[in-house]
Amino acid sequence: MKIWRDAGLTYIQYSNIAARVVREALRAELRADAAKRDISHVQFTPWVNGKPKPRKKQESDS
Amino acid sequence: MMQRTQLLLPLAMEATVLAQQQRGMATLKMISMRLKSVKNIQKITQSMKMVSAAKYARAERDLKAARPYGVGAQQFFEKTEIQADEKAEPKKLLIAVTSDRGLCGAVHTGVARLIRGELAQDEANTKVFCVGDKSRAILSRLYGKNILMVANEVGRLPPTFLDASKIANEVLQAGYDYTEGKIVYNRFKSVVSYQCSTLPIYSGATVEKSEKLAVYDSLDSDVVKSYLEFSLASLIFYTMKEGACSEQSSRMTAMDNASKNAGEMIDKLTLTFNRTRQAVITRELIEIISGAAALT
Repeated sequence: MKIWRDAGLTYIQYSNIAARVVREALRAELRADAAKRDISHVQFTPWVNGKPKPRKKQESDS
Repeated sequence: MMQRTQLLLPLAMEATVLAQQQRGMATLKMISMRLKSVKNIQKITQSMKMVSAAKYARAERDLKAARPYGVGAQQFFEKTEIQADEKAEPKKLLIAVTSDRGLCGAVHTGVARLIRGELAQDEANTKVFCVGDKSRAILSRLYGKNILMVANEVGRLPPTFLDASKIANEVLQAGYDYTEGKIVYNRFKSVVSYQCSTLPIYSGATVEKSEKLAVYDSLDSDVVKSYLEFSLASLIFYTMKEGACSEQSSRMTAMDNASKNAGEMIDKLTLTFNRTRQAVITRELIEIISGAAALT
């Protein structure tokens, strides 16, 4: 049941992957609309001691 | 000698012109240049207002759809009546929901001010997660050490659930085990008003200690953990939508005011321009008439 948890995923990642699969399974005319909800540009920079710390590039899926 | 005076003459004239300007007697050309630039600014603010009005309409529509996410997630915390553990050392997390974009009134400053108030109370045990560059820009000056992480590229497009879940994921995996936290955001009330408010969030350990958790049937720690992760994502999604809507409405008002102010300035400048032109004409007439009078 909780294989994804053992694989180190959080529920958020798990449900997002599930959502993506569902979107890809849609019919072509509906898929174009749903694909717009599958876009994200947010980038993250961790800060340590008041200075931004550069990090390797984000993995695309979360 | 003659040549030298000829050389000096334009210089002297320039000096007098400069002196006149310093006394506040702007020349005709300068006023018209100023007028042109203010007119351009008004054009820009007007079009920005139109753009944000369109974006606002969309944001409000989206917000209506996103509200159940927030309300549903809040219900759980209300029903279980979770209280933060008073005895244990609190580790607080504040999530500042703003965006990258400015020119929208006091939307971002309000969020930052609330966070500054929280930080002033308990600086040592509080970390801030900044969503949007604006809150980072305001907070990094005084409380740079308290910033845990910054998420940017927020606000150009309407927030999606994927954005929110990425942020929630980063919050969970940032390596900071908070016991309680707050999401600070702007709650949209109407086109002309928004209110800076907070939503509580708690960690799994705090939730499990709650006595009223028994109101929910068959909960094990796995379910609670999964639910809390999801509820964090939906709360962030909801607050981002609220924030985006308030931001657009506030930008609309701000740009409307800016165009109005530019309009006032244009009126004033046109008046001075016409007055100065009149004065120049009058002076030239006087010169011609007195020149003619001197000849006869």
